[in-house]
Order: sequence, then structure tokens, then C-alpha cells
Amino acid sequence: MNLKGWGLFALGTLFGLEGIKLLSSKDAKKVYAHCTAGVLRAKDSVLDQVTVLQENCTDIYEEAKAINEERATKDDVEE
Amino acid sequence: MRFTIRHEIKNRIRIHLSMKRMSFREADTLEYYLKSISGVRDVRVYERTADAVIFYDQDRSEVIRRIKEFSFENTQVPERVYECSGRELSAGYYDRIVTTVILHFGKRLFMPFSIRKVWDTVKTVKYIWRGLRTLKSGHLQVELLDAMAICAAILTGDYNTASNVMFLLKIGDTLEEWTHKRSVDDLARRMSLNIDKVWLLTENGEVLTDSSGIECGDKVIIRMGNMIPFDGEVDSGEAMVNQASMTGESVAVHKCSGSSVFAGTVVEDGELTIRVTQTEGSGRFDKIVKMIEESERLKSSLESKAERLADRLVPSTLIASAATWLLSRDVMKAVSVLMVDYSCALKMSMPISVLSAIKEASEYDITVKGGKFLEAVAEADTIVFDKTGTLTKAKPTVARVISFCEESEDELLRQAACLEEHFPHSVARAVVNAAFDKGLLHDELHTNVEYIVAHGIASEIDGEKAVIGSYHFVFEDEVVSIPDDRLEQFESLPDEYSQLFYAKNGKLAACILIEDPLREEAREIVEKLRKQGFEHVVMMTGDSERTAAKIASETGITEYYAEVLPEDKAGYIEKAKNEGHRVIMVGDGINDSPALSASDAGIAISDGAEIARQIADITIGSDNLEGIVILRDISKLLMKRIRFNYRTIVGFNTALIGLGIAGVMPPSTSAMLHNGSTVALGLNSMTRLMSDK
Repeated sequence: MNLKGWGLFALGTLFGLEGIKLLSSKDAKKVYAHCTAGVLRAKDSVLDQVTVLQENCTDIYEEAKAINEERATKDDVEE
Repeated sequence: MRFTIRHEIKNRIRIHLSMKRMSFREADTLEYYLKSISGVRDVRVYERTADAVIFYDQDRSEVIRRIKEFSFENTQVPERVYECSGRELSAGYYDRIVTTVILHFGKRLFMPFSIRKVWDTVKTVKYIWRGLRTLKSGHLQVELLDAMAICAAILTGDYNTASNVMFLLKIGDTLEEWTHKRSVDDLARRMSLNIDKVWLLTENGEVLTDSSGIECGDKVIIRMGNMIPFDGEVDSGEAMVNQASMTGESVAVHKCSGSSVFAGTVVEDGELTIRVTQTEGSGRFDKIVKMIEESERLKSSLESKAERLADRLVPSTLIASAATWLLSRDVMKAVSVLMVDYSCALKMSMPISVLSAIKEASEYDITVKGGKFLEAVAEADTIVFDKTGTLTKAKPTVARVISFCEESEDELLRQAACLEEHFPHSVARAVVNAAFDKGLLHDELHTNVEYIVAHGIASEIDGEKAVIGSYHFVFEDEVVSIPDDRLEQFESLPDEYSQLFYAKNGKLAACILIEDPLREEAREIVEKLRKQGFEHVVMMTGDSERTAAKIASETGITEYYAEVLPEDKAGYIEKAKNEGHRVIMVGDGINDSPALSASDAGIAISDGAEIARQIADITIGSDNLEGIVILRDISKLLMKRIRFNYRTIVGFNTALIGLGIAGVMPPSTSAMLHNGSTVALGLNSMTRLMSDK
């Protein structure tokens, strides 16, 4: 127990001394930038997918309209 | 350029260019190119996927051939097309909405509950602040209710509801902003594409020049009713300039030699010669946008009734909540009343309805500056037409020139054209065109031109005083006399034309007969408008009683006013408004502008004077008056949809509250139904108002 307490204290001190420096170091910043870039890429790809979905839905809708128009003209002819 | 066909049906094709994605500029280039192919009806370019959808009417192989020929490098696109493209703006909003949606649901999946709790609580602050701010105005507004609902949800630990409400409100806000930006942008786009010629002052007099050819230091002349196209300094002349776009001040400012003038401001009265200090490309489009936004704000601070419908619900919800608490002594039940938030449904469905109505109108070549004007059109019972350019064809022509002196008819026409070419009026344009068609070119013969609204023009040609204008102006105001030996000729002037008189040195020199044929559809339109519930269809014109009576009988208009001055047009409209009528004014010229701004909804014909288009709330295409009928239909249907949405939202959600209080329905089900109905209404509001033609 006591040992664990000391251990934590030592780790905390070490973190205070070096950890902050480490987290704000140039290398760490690079890691953050890469992570953020990854998130932005993911967002972009989702947006791409949404656009593709939208395009396909519009295709289907337009085709459906065309089918109905054709049917309507056929009905007219039959009557 | 290489491409693949992704989807194809009759008269519609979706292609994919062999590239990963396009820049906004490339997409605009492609769209411009595709639209220029004859037989292509409509084009939509998706820059994100490098796809394009093309609707066409003509031969397929021809379209395909033209697409193959396309290359980004070899397509010449005017710079303005890029400047006015709304692509980036739309993409921005689209991006924002999708991001909001992804964040909302992604957060729920991936973020630990404890962090989400803190996140949502922090976000609440913004809404609470918004709610508290509305208290200052002294009215109970819907923002307050939003804040209370969110607070209540957070305090009772229902973080999901809180974040749902905030999510829907945010989407609603974004949509509302988008609606506004889009309609203003559409309008600005049209306006900025329309103006491309200015009067450049050179050593040899005034020359009509393409505005892209103007450089710093050039002198440009701007007359009444026109927008100042560049920033500059006044070189000579005096004028009253409306600077609402710069300063927000609606009162015109006096400008004289030495004062600075700004692009986007409008000369209301007088004439200026300015030395250009900054040429185009300096955000002209943005300035027009700003100007429209300002004029909108100045015109009426009253928000649309439809937009404020939600406010009516605030007191009753508060009372209902208090009553629930008093009766049941159950805080949770009282809170549940607050939490069924009407406003996000209203806030989402309203802008969507308005946006889709404006978009639908634009398909018919109608530009609407805002939702409230559609409301005004729907409620109007009186419609006032200006005659020239509105009921008659937009392009009057010169039928004949009759000389009253020794000079030849062509020579007189040349002089008349020289005077008339400076003014944005359809009759003036007719004279200029007639001279041009006959090949009568002219140098500037006259000195300074003075323009008297609705009356005519006065100037000097070769040291002789020259006036041109209506009977009233030439004979009564300017006391011109008719040569004695020509009296008989004067009496026999034919009736069926509008007459324009040109006099020199106080003697009548010529009468120009203007033929201004009625639009073929005018009679039918008047009839349709009556059927649509307009009690008064009125015509006003500066023309003589005789011409007015003839046009009125041909169109079936029973109420008409002839020889009307611009102030009187506005006066009539004010009077009608005071009598409790809602008035629409349709016009096209400078002389209509006071009336357009006095009316509840001013409609301008799209090729009319610039100031008319600026002041007008709505512009319609110049080729057909049918636009007015369509506009009325769309407006009425929009109002119907808004009322339907309002009733459904209130009814449905009140039922939810009732069921919740009675304990029939668990809160999670009612929340789901609430959100589901909101989305369903939103989707329904996106559909077209008018059934297909």
C-alpha cells in the first residue's frame, strides 16, 4: 500500500517534470496532426458516401418517374 | 475528356469524369460548358464525386460528342460565372449539416456516457443565454421555451432528449441561414450578371463600354436609377445617392464634386461623373449581396408572421406545465410537458417549406427575396399593373416617324436616339434600337442631359433647346408650339400608337409613333388573377387617357388610371393599403420604384430598370406574365402547407403530452414519435408544391 502510494507519487512527479514536455513536444504534435487528419479524412469519406447515395437515390427516383410516365402514355394508347 | 456513363434513362444521363474529384472552379467550368450545349435542358455537377447529371432534349449522340470534346483548359468561362457561383456556399452548408448529423450520432455510439454528459451540459449554456436574451424584448419568445426544455431535460438527467433537442435546433438554424443566404445569393447573381455596360466619358463624349474594360482613373457617368458600379470620387455633377448598402441609412445622401462614392450604391436623383478609384473584381458580388440584405432589413423589421407562429405557443405551454404541476404535484410530469418541444419541429419545417417554395419559384424564372413576400402575395387582394413593359410587350418598337419640319425623318430619329440612349426606359430603348437598325449612327451631339421622371428629357443640340417626351411634358410644361402650316397633319395623327414628341427651339419637330403591342397572354392573365381571388385588378400608366382606355378594354381591366405620375402611383397604393387592402405592384421602370417599395410585395419584370429590380421584392421573367399566376399559386400553397405543418405539429405533440401525462405512453416512445414526426414533416415540406405541369 505504502509502496504503491510512493510509486504513484514518483510517477506523478515524473509526469509533471517530463510528461507535460513530452505531450507538447514537436513529435507529439505530429501525432495529433496525423490523428486529426485521419478524422477529417473519415468525415470526408462519409460525405463522399452521402453524395454517392444521393446520386443513386436521384437516379432511382428519376427512373421511377420515367417508368410511370411510360405506363401513363401506354394506358392512354390502350384507352 | 474521358468519362464513363454511370446511369442512363431516356433524356437523362449521369456521367463520371475520369478524375477523383473536382475543384469548385472546375465544377463551375463543366457546368457552364454543359449548359451551353444546345438541347441541354438542365445540368447538375457533383464536384465531390466528379459526376454530372445532364437532362437533354435532342439527339443523344450529339450530346455525347460534345462531352467528349470538353476539356478544362479549352473552355472559356467569363470570370463572373465563378464569382457568382453558389457552389462553394452550398457545399459549405451541406458539409455543416452532414457533420452535425455525424457528430450527433457518432457521439452516441463512441463517446463514453460520462463525457457526453459534460459535453451536453456545456453546450446547454449557449441555449440558456439565447433564451435569457429574448427576455429583454419583453415578449415571450420560443427561444425561452427551448432553453427551458433543454434545462429541464438536463436537470432531470435525460441527456438524450437534451442533446436531441439541441441537435434539431441546430439543424433548423443552419437550414434557416442557408435559406436566407441562398435566396439573397440567387438574386444577387441575377443582378450582377445583368449589368455589364457603363457610360465612359472620353474626349469624344460618352461611349457605352463594357464594364470589364474600365480602368482606374477612367471617368464614368451614372444617371438616375442606376447603380454606381465602382468605388470612386465624384468629378462633376450632383446627385442624391442611396447608400443603404454601405451605411444602412435609407435616406439618400447628397454628393457633389470631391465626395467619395461606393460601388453598389444607387443614384436616386441627379447625375454624377465619377473618377474610378477601384475597378471590378473588388467583391462587387458581395456588395450587391450586402445591399440586398440591408434593403431587406430596412424595409421591414417585422418578421414574417409564419416565422413567429411558434411564439404563440410559449405562454400556453408554460401555463400547461404549471397546471400539470398544480394538479399532479409531480415535478417530472410538469417537466415532461416542457420537454415536448414544439419549436424544433416548427423551426425545421418552416425554413424547409419556404426554401423549397423559393426554389420551386426559381424554376419558373421567379426570384423571391424572402418568405414574407410569398406571404404577402398569398394574402393580397389588389394587384396594380404598370402598363408599359408590363401589360404590353417589354419591347415597344418605333412604328413611324412623322416630321413636322424641314429635316428628314431619319435625321430626326437620329437626334431623338442621341437623347434617349442614356435612359433606362423601354420606350427610350425602342427609339435607340430603331435608329441603330436603320444604321443611323451618331456622335454625341448634345450637351448635358436632364431627365425628368415620367415626363421626358431636355437638352441642347447645336445650341438649340431640344426636348423629347409625352404630350403633357412637351406642350404643357415646355409650352412647345406646333408650326401653323402643320396643324392639319397634327390632328390626323393615328390613335392606335403611343406618341412621343420631339421639339427643337420651342417648335414641334417630329412625332414618333411608338407601337407597343399588348402581350398575347395579358387578357387571359387578368382573368386568371380574378379567379385567383384578386378583387381589384388595376392598371396605371403615364400614357394618355385614350391609349389607356384602349389597352384596358383589350385586357378586360375595369379599373385604370391614365396620365399618372410616379408619386401618384405610390399614393394610390398607400391609399389602398390604408383602406385595409393588401397590394401587389407589378412594374418595370424607374418611375415605378416608389410604388414598388410602397406595396406589400413589389414585383419587377427582370429586364426592367435596375433600381426597380433592387427595390422589388420579387422579380419575374420578362417573357411571360404567367409568372404572376404561378407565383400566386405557389404562395397560396405554401401558406396552406405552413398552416398544415403548424396544426399537425401542435396537434400531434399535444396528444403526446396528453398521453405522457396520463401515463399511457412511456417517455422514450413519445420522444421517438416526436422526433420521427419532425423528420417526416421536414421531408414532406421538401416536396414540390405544385403538381407537375
